[in-house]
Amino acid sequence: MTQALDATFRSASARIVGALAARYRDLDLAEEAFAEACARAAEAWKSATPERPDGWLYAVAQRCALDLLRKREVRERQGAQMEAECPMDEALTFIPDERLRLIFVCCHPAIAPDARAALTVRTVCGLSTGEIAHAFLTSEATLAQRLVRAKRKIAEAGVPFEIPGPNLWSERLDAVLSTLEVAYSKAHEDAAGAGPHAAYAAEMLNLSQMLAELLPDEADVLAFAALVRFCEARRPARVDAQGCMIPLAEQDPAQWNRALIREGDALLKRGFALQPSSARLLQAGIHAAWCRRRSLDEPPPWAKVLVLYDSLVAISANPITRMNRIVPLAEVRGYDRALEELENLRAASLEDFLPFRAVRADLLRRAGRAAEARIEYDAALALRPAPAEKAWLARRRSQIQ
Amino acid sequence: MQYALLIYEDESVYGPEKNNAALQEIAGKHMSFSQELGAKRLGGAGLAGTHATTSVRSANGTRTVHDGPFAETKEQLGGFYIIEAADLDEAIGIAKRMPLQLDGTIEIRPLMRG
Repeated sequence: MTQALDATFRSASARIVGALAARYRDLDLAEEAFAEACARAAEAWKSATPERPDGWLYAVAQRCALDLLRKREVRERQGAQMEAECPMDEALTFIPDERLRLIFVCCHPAIAPDARAALTVRTVCGLSTGEIAHAFLTSEATLAQRLVRAKRKIAEAGVPFEIPGPNLWSERLDAVLSTLEVAYSKAHEDAAGAGPHAAYAAEMLNLSQMLAELLPDEADVLAFAALVRFCEARRPARVDAQGCMIPLAEQDPAQWNRALIREGDALLKRGFALQPSSARLLQAGIHAAWCRRRSLDEPPPWAKVLVLYDSLVAISANPITRMNRIVPLAEVRGYDRALEELENLRAASLEDFLPFRAVRADLLRRAGRAAEARIEYDAALALRPAPAEKAWLARRRSQIQ
Repeated sequence: MQYALLIYEDESVYGPEKNNAALQEIAGKHMSFSQELGAKRLGGAGLAGTHATTSVRSANGTRTVHDGPFAETKEQLGGFYIIEAADLDEAIGIAKRMPLQLDGTIEIRPLMRG
């Protein structure tokens, strides 16, 4: 019963909080009212669940919002007028869809990037602060504080509850997508993806799907939805029985989720038809190239992946992209060439970036430079990798001849 | 809502003299920008350089007078606008058009609501 309730609350959360926040222009009020409605539902639904649980929640949440407004003594400002306009039966059949507006509010570039990501998954996906804190590798108290600060900023700085106009569109959509990328990387970092992370990753599938439905003509939105699908499709094959990470080229494609891959391919195809050259589409295209592999007997698509990385670096040459390109480069052109290019990246302050250390350690090991490889593996392990990755690095280190 | 737009620039780009060309040029730009803003601009001023700045600091309840600004930074507060804007996005839009000599920062601060 509790689990079923929980699922209902979570799926209704974005719609209802979004509708309330857009109406009252107050995220705190909307969340508080929704939480109160859920608490009342837990009592009221003990005997029987209403026919339209989300409508019931919305109607009750509206009343709770009014009660809260009254308590805050701002009734004279808006209360009297709103009281008249929320009849129960109307709310039961119609909840305005303000989720897109809500996403733009939560992802506003005036909010700190980390707080944006947390706020979005909290408000739009309805994840608990505990679940988010776990994914963000931080304490619940710290995360709660970050959320409070973000909501205060929205209220006090005058962040608009509007979908941005054409002149701001590309900048603001980019802020939305980079926020969602941060949010998703939190779900993706831990290869094992067990426990609370499983729910988190599932919510990212839902959220990216929602955005792709709300903005079907935005190539980058489709690219993000595709990317999440390709990555999630491979999740079952990312860790072995001992809890050790398996690198992409050694994963068994038979374990990948083909249905998700098909969804990703379809999204990607639509995206490329809209806008042939976008960095986000190319990035998703790299994942698609991997997902086309059918079995371990087929050679890995290194050459194809390198070509895609070359195009990507040509339009967005940030150090992390250039570093990721080194991996296929090593396979196609050899370790020495790859190590040489990696050296050029040293200056780009990637020294404390775990993947940089891991890639360099792997190349040194395979190039037979044992002593340097050991030092590099130790440096990588010192950067506190997640358990599955730590096991993998330790295993590789022990394989140095 | 009302916002203060605080303009931070490296004041050395305007040179040491009071009436040099760079200063006159930026003053002209601010005049036409103010005209462009019309009724949205509620007030504002350019500030004299930090060489003319005095600070009164309170520490443990004792107030002392110091030469110079609150903090020595690469960019200094050089002027401000008080504007009326519908929301943060409109204020950001105005800040993005703010005249600057070279690089700088426009800090957007909502005024406390009375």
